[in-house]
Amino acid sequence: MPELPVKKVGIISCSGEEMAEGTISRLATRRVLETLQPERTVTICLPLFLAGGEGERAFARHYPTIAIDGCEKRCAARGTEMYSGKPAGSIVVSDLYPRRNSELGSARRLSNQGHRLVKTTAAATSKLVDRLLGPRPLVGLKPAERPAVATKAVVTCSCGSGIPVKTLTIAGREIEVAALPVIYQSWRDSGRMPDQGVSPEMVQLVRVYNPIPENEEDAWKQAIALDYARFCSEAK
Amino acid sequence: MKPKALIIPCSGIGKTLGSVARESAFRVTEDLRPETSRLMPLSPLVLGEEETREILASTPVVAIDGCTKSCAAKVAAERGGKVDQALQVSDAFKRHRGLKPEGVAELNKGGLQLAQALAEEVAELVDRMGGEVKNA
Repeated sequence: MPELPVKKVGIISCSGEEMAEGTISRLATRRVLETLQPERTVTICLPLFLAGGEGERAFARHYPTIAIDGCEKRCAARGTEMYSGKPAGSIVVSDLYPRRNSELGSARRLSNQGHRLVKTTAAATSKLVDRLLGPRPLVGLKPAERPAVATKAVVTCSCGSGIPVKTLTIAGREIEVAALPVIYQSWRDSGRMPDQGVSPEMVQLVRVYNPIPENEEDAWKQAIALDYARFCSEAK
Repeated sequence: MKPKALIIPCSGIGKTLGSVARESAFRVTEDLRPETSRLMPLSPLVLGEEETREILASTPVVAIDGCTKSCAAKVAAERGGKVDQALQVSDAFKRHRGLKPEGVAELNKGGLQLAQALAEEVAELVDRMGGEVKNA
């Protein structure tokens, strides 16, 4: 398996704009990204799985993901599984705090109780991040050596997953193939020369990150073989 | 009451312009045109649920996107919606240069003012849209 960008956890939030729990999901996501786990988390907007390219859809195949949903519909978890990959963890705000009347406020303006639930949701999510990546290495460090939190954190977001893609023309269409640059590099490093062709094992690795239609497998192999040969000749 | 327009904002989580889009949508559907517009979240559209597809199929859409990825407009169209107006917050900012938005979880004053300006533009668009307000 090629070594992809640094291991982080992807947090995918409900975007429910019509309920307070949707806002709580979103603010909790930001709290995890900015304050609780700034070095170890990234996010992507749920709709980008549909509106974006293959790089976005490959997100959950590269990163273990945690879906934060506002309600039992679990749009974030189901949407992530449907278009990208099964989330490694799931939080549902309405499970953490079954709502009574409108005590959480509205989607537009949370009440104090709603803001408290943001912190609770973020803390639960942060625990899941620790479970997936192991605890943060804070013990034994002097305060000055601990990772900076809160104020200067930059949210690694959205609109691009950080997964390298390459556009190939396959079966007459331009297709973004996720992870191809690092896959090429791993093949080359392991001594696989382009004149040996593309083996089923190599196709299998590409398939981990990309849906390859069965009836187009030969076209994919041809396009990748040509492009890999070009990659190797340019690298010389 | 069936609305004349569905307002679908960007659900961007990491950028200021997404927050402006969302705030604009709230202002249209709750403050300016509560009787003739309705907010629709993107999440259920991503799943393509039958109920939301039916609403989409029968009501024109005003998409308010934060960036050029245009998720709101694209997802609405993908799910069978008629996107009557596809707006971008970045374009609104060009029309209102003095209103510089900052912040995401909480918009600054410029961001809130830009959201209001965009909401007023959207409200006028809703008024001009051809659909009738029908009883559901």
